[in-house]
Amino acid sequence: MKHFWREVGFLLRQRASVWAVTLLAGLALLSVGLGLHDVAKQKAAISQVIDLQKQDSAAIKVFATEAGDAAYYRFHPTWNPPAPLAFAALGQRDIAPSIMRIRALALEGQIHENEAQNPELALPGRFDFAFVLIYLAPLVLIVLFYDLWSGEREAGRLASLEAMPLARSHLWFPRILARFGVVSAALIPVFWIGALISGAGLRDTIAFTGLIVALLGFWTLFAAWIAKGRGGSPTNAAVLATVWFAITLIAPAGANLVINATTPIPDGAAILRENREAVHDAWDLDRAATLQRFYKFHPELASSPPMQRPFEWKWYFAFQHLGDQQVESLSTFYRTGIAKRDARAGLVALALPPLAIQRAFHRIANTDLAAQSAYQDRIRAYHTQLRTYYYPYLFLAKPFTPADFDATPEFSDRLAE
Amino acid sequence: MRRAVLIARAELALMFRSHVALIGVIALLLLSAIAAATSQAHMAQERFSRLANQTQTDALFEAQPARHPHRMVHYGSYVYRPIGPLAGFEPGIDPFSGTTLYLEGHRQNSATISAVRENSSLMRFGQLTPAFVLQTLAPLLLIFLGFSMITREHMRGSLRLLLTTGVTPRDLILGKSLALGLVGLIALAPAWLALLMMAIAEPSEAGAAALMALGYGLYVLIWVFGIVAASALAQSGQAALLSLIGIWCFIAIVAPRGAAELAGRLEPLETRAATDLMIQAELRQLGDSHNPDDPFFAAFKARTLAQYGVTKIEDLPFNFRGAVSAEGEALTSRLFDKYFVELATTQRTQSQIVSLVSIASPAIAVRRISMAGAGTDLETHLRFLQQSEAHRFAMVQYLNRLHRDKLSQADDAARSKDPLAEQRTRIAADNWAKVPDFAFKPTSAKERMLAAIAPILTLAFWLASVMVLAGWSARVLRARAL
Repeated sequence: MKHFWREVGFLLRQRASVWAVTLLAGLALLSVGLGLHDVAKQKAAISQVIDLQKQDSAAIKVFATEAGDAAYYRFHPTWNPPAPLAFAALGQRDIAPSIMRIRALALEGQIHENEAQNPELALPGRFDFAFVLIYLAPLVLIVLFYDLWSGEREAGRLASLEAMPLARSHLWFPRILARFGVVSAALIPVFWIGALISGAGLRDTIAFTGLIVALLGFWTLFAAWIAKGRGGSPTNAAVLATVWFAITLIAPAGANLVINATTPIPDGAAILRENREAVHDAWDLDRAATLQRFYKFHPELASSPPMQRPFEWKWYFAFQHLGDQQVESLSTFYRTGIAKRDARAGLVALALPPLAIQRAFHRIANTDLAAQSAYQDRIRAYHTQLRTYYYPYLFLAKPFTPADFDATPEFSDRLAE
Repeated sequence: MRRAVLIARAELALMFRSHVALIGVIALLLLSAIAAATSQAHMAQERFSRLANQTQTDALFEAQPARHPHRMVHYGSYVYRPIGPLAGFEPGIDPFSGTTLYLEGHRQNSATISAVRENSSLMRFGQLTPAFVLQTLAPLLLIFLGFSMITREHMRGSLRLLLTTGVTPRDLILGKSLALGLVGLIALAPAWLALLMMAIAEPSEAGAAALMALGYGLYVLIWVFGIVAASALAQSGQAALLSLIGIWCFIAIVAPRGAAELAGRLEPLETRAATDLMIQAELRQLGDSHNPDDPFFAAFKARTLAQYGVTKIEDLPFNFRGAVSAEGEALTSRLFDKYFVELATTQRTQSQIVSLVSIASPAIAVRRISMAGAGTDLETHLRFLQQSEAHRFAMVQYLNRLHRDKLSQADDAARSKDPLAEQRTRIAADNWAKVPDFAFKPTSAKERMLAAIAPILTLAFWLASVMVLAGWSARVLRARAL
């Protein structure tokens, strides 16, 4: 242990190392601050919309005395609240909406809506803790390691150091550990502060910390391995930087190209359009036949009397649902295609540690693609709940009272686990 | 100058003999070629697919049967953001923004279906495009090849020897810059070639392509002089290398992200859901079409009746319901426009804040030139949204005019209850073809060139600064050698 502290002491007397580590800690602190602010902003936006929606619904309640009017005009908020650790790895949360308003109409035309963000800001990526860890921390480790052996060799001390008894356990091992320890100490406490403020659970915090240690450990071992080689200091630095660049920038971009080429998905625009065609074609089709097709999905409503007028809300909502049914297979294919792309990225990550860690971060922070599609699944389930809530009023002449307007099911953000 | 050329030639010979340098250059060229080919092919396919979607959507609209015109208002239309000829070089925001917009009555939808939501998280690590290779990768290669150009001479003691033979430090800096500049030129060659080919294929884009080529040329030159100056000023090779990698990391990786965060903090945006609800609330304040006693619509009725000198809407020479629809749509559209101006202003300010940070990072400036030149910047997207809204409004109002002029008031009122009246409210299908098609007017080549001027000047300022730095490093070198 005393060897370890001695090496830490040496390290902290080198101006360049202190600079690099302090800068890293400062950037980590900044990223945590930005992440916490972002998460707070998303939470505020969610409650703002829920409030605004209440006022909107109150105004609709005044004139929507029929169930059909209420189902048509009234939007219902759905939201995807950030998990406590989202501050550290924002993942897809900047490009996918955290809150969406849904009606009992055909869902495919609603669920693909986008957030009104500035694409130029999404383009470079986020400055979150995961970024500092995966992009910047390895560079600091490279700075601390590249000349560990070659520096001694170039100063003519290497032979005498190697000749020391117990050089391995008393010198090199503490040196490696000291570097690893200092970088860990620059990052982990900063993350813990963030986790404490955001109220993250102990289990997730420990798992996250484990991932931080794993990533720093990987780069420590790799950098030490290269540094121990025969190369001179500049060569080592160049090799390490090249490898860092190759596995954090080039390989993911290349893998993405290959995955997209080998995993085609249906054209999303076509799903939207076909949904619309199916919905609007119904206006010119035989109304009774449309209802019969709908009753196949909802036999409990088949006792509804035949239509008396050219327009009845029940028929309108029946063909909305048929429109969703029409594109269901295409839509499923679209979603499974995206999930398959993500699964293949997971395979690529097996060979690329930074990617694997990034994905694990996003999983724990619930900000990955799977979290987005889980949110969409919750929206789908809620939409079913919503439309089936209205059906008895529309089809079975159940009277719709103001109390029924208020009793409409509400979205629940509890994670379906 | 002759001496500088000799020094450059010697340096290049050395690089050529060193396998590492050769492999580095070949790897970069290979990556450039792969990036250029795949990106171009992908964007060409996207362009084709959007064009095909647009054609099909327009054909579907015209093929709709005889209907009530308000049905067509709700049937609506889709528009797909077209892709300019240079987007293969720099896809810019295209994969990060929705490409498909649904246009319908009373509502303003968001642009949806974006590549970033259809891809695995790998995409957020960066995309292999010619622009990425030049902006991020090429400087790193130049650093590896150039960091020790002068420190090496210094360490070996050959520097003093050189200076005694009559070579001035200026010659040395110039010669080394010339050699590294030639490597930079090789790195640029595939991109310049690609831009040249695009300019030949689409002569109207030649000006924008030339500006992009100029921007990347300046950017590479900044790195060349910066690297040579760092090599002259550093005490050792590794000090030069480490500080250059640190600078590269800041310029190419940290600053663009930091600038985006800064812009997002200083100019926050409302969520789409909140904006929609605010529009609805304001709309209700102005005029509520669901309220039979609403003052706005009551005033509209009184005004219309007075204008035609009648006392009942039944006596009007047209279908009053269509006129109310048109009036309501105009009201909604005014609010959409008002909130869109707010959104666009905020987003433009955000992008300006990012541009300001290019004072600290030429990578931001070159990306700006690249995206503006290729027409894949925020401005193109905002124009798409704005023109789509104008198209939506024109389409809906055309249909509302049909609703007003071609339908009998009595039939229109009875159509939900009376099947025969419902049949009579359907108007002929040939009316649908008369809705004008959406023709996107992207930023003109001239506008894009104008937008590139400020970042070009920023790069020119950067280049002048690093050249001054290189000149100063020559003086330091002389002092150190003596």
